[in-house]
Amino acid sequence: MSEETSAATQYLSFILAGEEYALGILRVKEIIEYDTVTRVPGAPVWVRGVFNLRGSVVPVVDLTVKLGLPSIQLTRRSCIVVVEVRQGNEDIVLGLLADAIGQVIELGPEDVAPPPAFGTPVHVDYLLGMGRVGTARKFILLLDIDKVLSGQEVLSATALRAPPGEDTERTTGKVA
Amino acid sequence: MNRVILARGLLLPLASMTPELEKIHALFLAEAEEQLATLEQGLLALERTSGPQPLASLLCTLHTFKGGAGSVGLTAAVELAHLLEDLLTLLEARAVVLHAGLGSLMLQAVDVLREQVGLEPASESAQRLPAQEVRRLLESTLKASQPAQTRAAAPERPASPAEPSAHREHTLRVGLGRLDRMLDLTGEIAIARGRLAEMLGQAHRYTPQQLLEAHRDGDRLYLDLQELVMKVRMVPIGRTFQPFVRTVRDLGLAMGKQVRCELSGEDVEVDTTIAELIRDPLTHLVRNAMDHGMETPEVRQARGKEPTGTLSLRAVHDAGTLLIQVVDDGAGLDRERIAARARALGMLGAEETPDDGALLRLILAPGFSTAERITELSGRGVGMDVVKRNVEALRGTVSVDSTPGQGTTFSLRLPLTLSIIEGFNVAVGAETYVIPLQNVLECVELPSAESRPGRTGVFSLRGSALPYLRLREHFGLGGSTPARENLVVIGHERGLAGLAVDTLLGQGQTVIKPLGRFCQGLPGLSGSTLLGDGRVALILDVPALLHQVLQAAPPAAVA
Repeated sequence: MSEETSAATQYLSFILAGEEYALGILRVKEIIEYDTVTRVPGAPVWVRGVFNLRGSVVPVVDLTVKLGLPSIQLTRRSCIVVVEVRQGNEDIVLGLLADAIGQVIELGPEDVAPPPAFGTPVHVDYLLGMGRVGTARKFILLLDIDKVLSGQEVLSATALRAPPGEDTERTTGKVA
Repeated sequence: MNRVILARGLLLPLASMTPELEKIHALFLAEAEEQLATLEQGLLALERTSGPQPLASLLCTLHTFKGGAGSVGLTAAVELAHLLEDLLTLLEARAVVLHAGLGSLMLQAVDVLREQVGLEPASESAQRLPAQEVRRLLESTLKASQPAQTRAAAPERPASPAEPSAHREHTLRVGLGRLDRMLDLTGEIAIARGRLAEMLGQAHRYTPQQLLEAHRDGDRLYLDLQELVMKVRMVPIGRTFQPFVRTVRDLGLAMGKQVRCELSGEDVEVDTTIAELIRDPLTHLVRNAMDHGMETPEVRQARGKEPTGTLSLRAVHDAGTLLIQVVDDGAGLDRERIAARARALGMLGAEETPDDGALLRLILAPGFSTAERITELSGRGVGMDVVKRNVEALRGTVSVDSTPGQGTTFSLRLPLTLSIIEGFNVAVGAETYVIPLQNVLECVELPSAESRPGRTGVFSLRGSALPYLRLREHFGLGGSTPARENLVVIGHERGLAGLAVDTLLGQGQTVIKPLGRFCQGLPGLSGSTLLGDGRVALILDVPALLHQVLQAAPPAAVA
């Protein structure tokens, strides 16, 4: 991933539950206003619904639910950050719901510190690091978006696919 | 690029694969695939009835293939094709007689040719010979039948099979007539748009009716164009059926069974995606029929049947859907064995005796297989549930019908196209849902006096009980139920059921959009579509929705 290796990288920051987070800007395709999002019954809880992105149907992920943060109150400044995420072998496009958009920041390798072992609002595994910004030396949490949406979550989404009662586990005991 | 790898194995050096060459190669591949398929069918036909006519056309096809292969530098394929050509000439001159062994050899040669040009071989039987062996056998057959003629033995060249290209371009041949009509329509639409734009520019001079009429003119043209584009995606199902003639022949020989493969409805047109995705389920069904259904000639004769069995693949348009059937006249399904197996697996209680249809449906359940021995054909740990899953992924259904001693019929019912359906729009609160029109039978009002609160209820529809599901509760949408609800009556396997919704919005064409990774394959939903105002509406998967309700109902209520 280029944002970890190149000299100075640009990040887009956004606000989630009062905290500022950032994503590598190359991941961000566009930012759009929060409009009608159609709820999808049965989808994972952290999927807020789907919306129409110029003709294709794109899911919106509520990161606050996903990361276990206090939930978002929709305001006029709420928006959707459309990102591209690598899942297995395919790139998928999805929207991230954010309270507000922050700023575009540039961070050199010396500005990024590894995340502390604990104390961050989200799990350390979901972070690429902490970026120090400006003269105030404020910290911005750099999200590892691939990890946030990877692996087991996809599994849990597919687990919903099997209609209840069709699993054959309960039968194995009887075969012998 | 796959095609570059392909080139490395052949004579073209890697660097010489220019884009132009790549195009030529892709064109050759598309043509070769068709030629080899024709060749294969010709050979199979030749086995059934030998006459001079098919041979001439076979030689012609082979010659064309040889030319194409030569032009892209596939020497090994050219040489093998040449041998095959010689052999066919001998057959034509009646110098050799076609027997099953020779037939197999020639068919295998076609497979080797497929391999050599970079296509997947059609047959995957265990006794497939390597390219060199096929070549050697062809040469020795030729030599044995014409001792006078001396052929200079071609130098032994290690045949390097090209890697089968996984990502071959998906192309479609389209009749020029259709393309011309499409072009006409786009032109007409352009004119209609221009006229409408002009009228709108001076809107004060026209009445809304006139403007609407102008818009409708354009709309009609657009619908024509849409229909035409859909038609262009349609291909005859025969192309999907044809390879199974070979499969049946090879399997029959391998298992010592005499089976004739009959095709019907080959010119029924289906969406090209469906034609492609139906191949796997069909392979499964054909193999299953050959392995379990068909008896050996001796058994058949002992049962008073013709020694040669028949396996038919049929396609027919039926009530807006495509019906594909795999029919065998074999032994039929053994109900007792299915019941015993189901009990062993715990799918069926010891006391339970399901009706015939339900019993037969059990073989489509995951993990179900009645095969006592593990054979090369069917013992690969996959059962008929694969068929069911694949067909359901295409929004279709599978049903089984079987008469003991007389055979089994598998019926696959599929939608004609995957991209557009006729939908019926309904609203619940602020949400809009689309019910595929084929599921909708009628709509009735559900007066508040007859509605019960809760997720499900029963309504008296002209005196008979109609169970219904309230979408608002089922999907957990919240909000309050309006005083007057509407019921959409839908048909399902066991009869009628209703969906209670707030309002009926009417029918229209619905372009299906996939729901994307995180929301895919959710029970009760088959996809989504975009509404006129840009919002996303969900398309209901009616069978799955009802299945969910039946599953959730307490067992006593189901029985």
